[in-house]
Amino acid sequence: MRRPASKSRRILVTRRIFLGIGIVSLLYPLYRFIGFRLPRKPQRIEVAKQILPGQFRLFPNFILFARKDRVWAVSRKCTHLGCTLHYVEKDDLLECPCHQSRFSSDGRLLNGPAKAPLNTYPVEKRQDPPYYVVTL
Amino acid sequence: MTMKALPGNLAAVKWGAWSLVCLYISLVSGVLVALHYDPAAAYYSTAAMDLLVPFGEYFRSLHFYSSQLFFLLTIVHLVVAYRSSDSYTTAQWGRLIVTLPVVLLLLFTGYILRADSTGASAGAIAEAILLDIPLLGPAINSAFFSITEHGMQRVYVTHIITFDLLWLALAWEHLRRYRIRITDYLPTAGLVLLFSVFVAAPIDPEKLGVSYISGPWFFLGLQELLRYLPPLVAGFIFPALFVFALFLARKHHRFFKSMLIFLVIWLLLYLILSVLALLH
Repeated sequence: MRRPASKSRRILVTRRIFLGIGIVSLLYPLYRFIGFRLPRKPQRIEVAKQILPGQFRLFPNFILFARKDRVWAVSRKCTHLGCTLHYVEKDDLLECPCHQSRFSSDGRLLNGPAKAPLNTYPVEKRQDPPYYVVTL
Repeated sequence: MTMKALPGNLAAVKWGAWSLVCLYISLVSGVLVALHYDPAAAYYSTAAMDLLVPFGEYFRSLHFYSSQLFFLLTIVHLVVAYRSSDSYTTAQWGRLIVTLPVVLLLLFTGYILRADSTGASAGAIAEAILLDIPLLGPAINSAFFSITEHGMQRVYVTHIITFDLLWLALAWEHLRRYRIRITDYLPTAGLVLLFSVFVAAPIDPEKLGVSYISGPWFFLGLQELLRYLPPLVAGFIFPALFVFALFLARKHHRFFKSMLIFLVIWLLLYLILSVLALLH
């Protein structure tokens, strides 16, 4: 016996609604699972050697500068698209090799396409080795 | 030679079969390269493959060039076989068109995995583009890249499993229709195997004083465009427009001619941007 057309359509719509709810209820756990991030511990980098005033030390993620009685760490991640910055010693600036954004050694933006200054990190200065502890 | 005769002669070459042979070589050499690759020490293991592992440089080169050739021959195959694609349904055509960005992303993730200065920059840029896509961008980044959080782990999974499966799912019907026997294409396979003996795959160690790093050759135009436009427009909308236009460029479509003109202009613009990128 054949079902009337309206009844068939109703069954089809109900099936689609159930299918839609099923897919959405599967997508939500998938979205949460993929997007989960383990909370990161703060990274502490110990620098054993002393840096004399006017010198700098290059690390994969930051540069440590020493001038007179001041020591600071500036991020090497470009604020435009995240490329690793190079330090141009003769001009005392950081330059991005991808799109040539430029920053001063204390992280100020000199020219774009980047629009934001660089991150700086706290540096703890000590009398004995390790002489500096940088917290990322 | 008339314009009509040219496609006929080119069509006599089995570009699709050649590209498939390159894919087979790429897959086998990819399995070999993966045996020595360590996502936790990406650059170290890649450099060690070139310098220390017996025949490591050869197999990395074989994987690199066979993959590049696979992509290039796929493009030639698409252009040459374009006329005979009328028989495909919209869904079939759509699936085949999507294989192109998937292959490109497979090549791209291969570059990232090297983790040399080109790879690291390419990875950072890809992540920045994805994070700029509203709503779904962060989820897509978490699923396929997430380099800042997970290093090379997820890019590795994307390169060796996820995108390969996706490509296979999209091209499955096409591959079932056009089967090849690799024994019929031994000269092609031999040429690729021989070429990799003489030409090493590139690797760019970080050097002091380098003021410009160019991305993979197919990424140059996009890298240049990112200088002027926001990541969402330059890195996502602009390339997506090309793929969408290619999907619509079918003979029976009412905007067929407009789409062809758009595709040619897009390609010319991309070429100019790539040349500009090389001039830096």
